[in-house]
Amino acid sequence: MPVASPILGTIGLNHYLILGALLFVAGTFTILTRRNAIGILIGVEIVLNAANLNLVAFNRFAHGAAADGSVRLDGQIFALFVIVLAAAEAAVALAIFLNFYNNFSSIDVERGNTLKG
Amino acid sequence: MNPANLLIIAALFPLLSFLLLLCGGRSIGRPLSGWIATVLSALSFACSILAVIGWLSVSGARSDELYQLAGATPGASDVIRRPMLWLFNWLPLAQSSSAASNASPAFLQLGIYIDSLTVVLFATITLVALCVHVFSLKYMENDAHYPRFFAYLGLFCFSMLGLVIGATLLHIFVFWELVGLCSYLLIGFWSDRPAASRAALKAFVVNRVGDLGFLIGLGLLVWHVGNLSLPDVWGTLDASRISQHESGQWGITLGDGATISRGMLTFIGISLFAGAAGKSAQFPLHVWLPDAMEGPTPISALIHAATMVAAGVYLVARIFPILTPDARLFIAVIGCVTLTFAALVATVQRDIKQVLAWSTISQLGYMMLALGVGSWVGGLFHLVTHAFFKALLFLAAGSVIHATGHVQDLRSMGGLWRKMPITAITFLVAIAAIAGVPMFSGYFSKTMILIDAGAFASYAKQAGRSGGYLLLFALPVFIAYLTPFYMMRCWMLAFAHRPRDADLHRRAGEAPLLYGPLLALAVMSAAAGSWFGAEQMLVNATQEDTIFTRQRAATYEQFAAFDSIWPAEPPSAATDLAAASSAQREARRAGEALDSMWVTWAFAVGLGGAILLYVRGLAASQRLLRWRPAGMIHRWLLNRMYIDELYNLIVVNMTILVASVFCWIDRHIVDAIVGAAAASVRVASRAAGVADDKVVDGAVSGFADLAQDIGAAVRMPQTGRIRVYMTLLLSVLTAGVAIAAGIIFLAR
Repeated sequence: MPVASPILGTIGLNHYLILGALLFVAGTFTILTRRNAIGILIGVEIVLNAANLNLVAFNRFAHGAAADGSVRLDGQIFALFVIVLAAAEAAVALAIFLNFYNNFSSIDVERGNTLKG
Repeated sequence: MNPANLLIIAALFPLLSFLLLLCGGRSIGRPLSGWIATVLSALSFACSILAVIGWLSVSGARSDELYQLAGATPGASDVIRRPMLWLFNWLPLAQSSSAASNASPAFLQLGIYIDSLTVVLFATITLVALCVHVFSLKYMENDAHYPRFFAYLGLFCFSMLGLVIGATLLHIFVFWELVGLCSYLLIGFWSDRPAASRAALKAFVVNRVGDLGFLIGLGLLVWHVGNLSLPDVWGTLDASRISQHESGQWGITLGDGATISRGMLTFIGISLFAGAAGKSAQFPLHVWLPDAMEGPTPISALIHAATMVAAGVYLVARIFPILTPDARLFIAVIGCVTLTFAALVATVQRDIKQVLAWSTISQLGYMMLALGVGSWVGGLFHLVTHAFFKALLFLAAGSVIHATGHVQDLRSMGGLWRKMPITAITFLVAIAAIAGVPMFSGYFSKTMILIDAGAFASYAKQAGRSGGYLLLFALPVFIAYLTPFYMMRCWMLAFAHRPRDADLHRRAGEAPLLYGPLLALAVMSAAAGSWFGAEQMLVNATQEDTIFTRQRAATYEQFAAFDSIWPAEPPSAATDLAAASSAQREARRAGEALDSMWVTWAFAVGLGGAILLYVRGLAASQRLLRWRPAGMIHRWLLNRMYIDELYNLIVVNMTILVASVFCWIDRHIVDAIVGAAAASVRVASRAAGVADDKVVDGAVSGFADLAQDIGAAVRMPQTGRIRVYMTLLLSVLTAGVAIAAGIIFLAR
């Protein structure tokens, strides 16, 4: 069900997608520019949430509510999975960072260039 | 236990001794290693004696068939036992030209053949070996290579026993070479003496000359018979089967119709005899044996007097049935020449071992002569008795040499009987045996030989042959006078009269380990002739072996010769055979008459002459030598008739000349060719090297450089910085998506 907004008019799918794209770009920018590993992890979380937003939005606008009032929640469940996955990923990543710190006494990812060919 | 198994075990004990001492001799140590070898040798002797007893109690073979085949009548005293024969195939052969004996695929075979001869020789060899082992315990006690000595002794005993148990000529040849090797090793045992290693080399080379003949004979036998087992050879080429073909040629027709001529058979016989002549030191090839005395004295006793040198006689005895009359005559002549000249040389030698060495050659000549005139039993009987008394003589001489601190010159001995009475008496017993004093062992065997030689000469006279045949009797008889003389001379110079070297005399003495074996051998020297039944067993052996020749020959043909005394009596199948055999009997009676007339008192003449001449030491003989002709003959004989010098002049120099010619050819022609070839190869390889460097290597390094450049270029973006990768990834992805979107948009 479209929601009317005084400034933007009716908020449709495109609004969500643009917000998602902005979040994605912001996340990507964070990943590419941060030298701090924690910052990169935050960027990754932003990118994941951008995708989550898209999933939920697509679910809402693709299915809507059925005539009998039942609701399909595929996108939301996807988003929940992604959140869980992100939590797991954060745990793994933080463990990696701890090791990284042990090896390089820093979490500056520029220092970890020893795989250079 | 089966006598065959016992004999095999008897042969394996010395091998065990050899292996033990070879592997662990050094760690087993000095007295113990010798005692181990001696105990094993004693076990070997015990097995042989058990085998003799076992063999004599074999009675299952008293079948009439065997008697019929052997042409004998059953009697209480002589049991014909079936010889034991095992053959196994060793190497396959290409089919021979005339696979005469059978159609089965031909093999070179090894195997075991046991008849009375084998059994007798086993007992003889093991007994002498045991005595020599015991003697060596003392004689070699201070030698640096004590365990090695006993190891070699063990190997020798094994080889010798293996030789006499062999069932094929190839088997005999293998062990023949093994005993030759042992002889070489033991002559040169004191290898730090140049004379010893030279003597070892000489023995080896001279034996090779004979063995060449042996090999030729073996090759011809394989060619004609198809294999080398003794029964096959005897049966196929039995010389009594020689008959005249339609073409007028004499020869043997083999099973498949091929023939082998009498001349070829003679040639085979003489070739094989050449091997025997080398081993048994017969005339042209005798030169190695006197030099072999450089080895330790127990070795001289065992190998170069009692056993190994008798192997040649054994071989001739084993091939006896295939020897043609011509070959036998050749053997008889060689034996006669050998026994004569060797005895003459022995008469003047000054070294105690040289006297015995030449005496050995002379006695081997007697054995060969015996085989040549057809006295098979006589020759082998003499082999057995000679083994005992000559081993005794050498060991007694060894006892003297040991006592005097390795002095061998008779001229500095004298009067030793006071210091070493047992040695002197046992030596005297051996002299009685070799001289043919009645009731001592040598008397029986030598008388048998001389009777047969006399019979041979008489038979030749009856048959109208030339008077030269008489020499085959006259010379041995003459030497029968000379033998006691030179042996008694040796004894008189060593033991009798006054000491000529007081210092040496003071040192001398005896030890029980040294004279114990002497006593044992003295008993055998005295008694082996009439007791112990050696002669009867040898007679049995002729009948046992005859079975094989007769089984294969359709008819036994007496051919016109006096040489067919073996087997003792020809079968009376036809009337002319009866006539022939009566002529033989007559000849035998004539031989006995000659023997009783000429030989009976020979020992007394010889011994008496020596006692008279040397009773006052060297004085009388030196007076004799002042007479010029005697002095010249003495020098000629002392230098062994200059035969060694002659060989040196002709054979050795010829060899060196030929070698130097070939050396020149090698150096100047072959080397030049090789050098030119090498130079051309070098030029070619240099060219190839340049091409390789520039062309092939250039291409290869070009590729390598290219790969390296590409690699360097690709490597550049690999910074290892994750953000760079990500940026790149995203920009490429974005660009790709943009391009795809653009294409889709435009395509719309």
